[in-house]
Amino acid sequence: MAETRAGWSDGDVVRRVREGDVAAFGMLVTRYREAFGRYASAVCGDPDVAADAMQEAFIRAYDALDSCRTPERFGAWFHRILTNQCRNHRDRRRPHAPLKDGLGGAVATERADDRVERGALRDAITAALEELSAEQREAFVLRHVEGRPYPEMAALTGEREDALRMRVHRARETMRRRLEDWR
Amino acid sequence: MSGTRDWSPEAQRYLDGDGALPADAGEAARVAAFQAAVDDWAGTVRAPDAALDARLMETVRARAAAGAPATQRAWWRWFVEPHQIAVRPAFAAAAAVALIAVSSAVAFLLDAPDPTPVPMATGTNAGTILVRFELRAPDARHVALAGSFNGWNDSTVVFSQAAEAGLWTVTVALRPGEYQYLFVVDGERWMPDPAAHAQVQDEFGQTNSLLVVGPRGVVRS
Repeated sequence: MAETRAGWSDGDVVRRVREGDVAAFGMLVTRYREAFGRYASAVCGDPDVAADAMQEAFIRAYDALDSCRTPERFGAWFHRILTNQCRNHRDRRRPHAPLKDGLGGAVATERADDRVERGALRDAITAALEELSAEQREAFVLRHVEGRPYPEMAALTGEREDALRMRVHRARETMRRRLEDWR
Repeated sequence: MSGTRDWSPEAQRYLDGDGALPADAGEAARVAAFQAAVDDWAGTVRAPDAALDARLMETVRARAAAGAPATQRAWWRWFVEPHQIAVRPAFAAAAAVALIAVSSAVAFLLDAPDPTPVPMATGTNAGTILVRFELRAPDARHVALAGSFNGWNDSTVVFSQAAEAGLWTVTVALRPGEYQYLFVVDGERWMPDPAAHAQVQDEFGQTNSLLVVGPRGVVRS
């Protein structure tokens, strides 16, 4: 009987990979590129840098799969590897590299003056993100790009909820000042 | 910067998803504008393209073909995974005498490692070293051993309660090598071994106990 992989849990996939089924790792790649890709792009400030960080993170996860203590929680384990790689790859960005406009492209149907204003506002937000500490930026992105509630953020990062709230609050203070300066 | 430009507690709660818009109309308008700007910006953030998956899997397959760690596991796991030692009561005394004799002989002849209490080598077995782990946990209902030697599986190596109340022990056979491990108490609490020779931080900032097994026994780290 043919195996149905679609319903495999992370734990099932990790166990298969450990038993030598290399192709099964591709399921984790697709699953977590989709789940954490926007997080990586926002944290890295550039989708190309994020792609490099994700590639490195997946290879590290593959090599270290034996040290994943709880295969059912592969996602949280991988998220920490990815966060470390995003920090490393941000540091390797070309100094003063122009930030990608909006990290993904403009909306073509807007009026020209609206587009200019929106573009400037997006640039101001991107620039404000650059001023944050790595921890603040990661917490802000989890809350405001991914829309995750704090308990989920805590489970994913292994950090305490109150610490994450504080980081997001401080990030928003920086954002507000930056945006008011812009206006 | 002036503190007057900070968000009010009501605004922070709203933005946290925990409350209503602030009653102050000006602050409510600022919150709404901020939320709209951030949502607009967040809507432009894109994940890396799906083409990454194929590129990445090419790299993973190449690493697997070259013998990268994940594919080595399939064949060498048998050699390095711990095997629990079951001894019939009738043979326990004889086995203990034999283990002591082997340990003593090895220690005398080969300059044995430090007589560290636990984990400790209790003998040798066909190229492996018998290592005994102990944990004093009077309130525990179940204790397991998970580590790099068994893929961090928390169900394959289970402690037994010793005759001494509150003491849990298990003996496993390990090949010489460096291992990280933790005790898993009642299936949910992962804790380092308080008697370990060394504790190390893994790449995720978590503390693991370190065990180094040499050809002659447990080596102090």
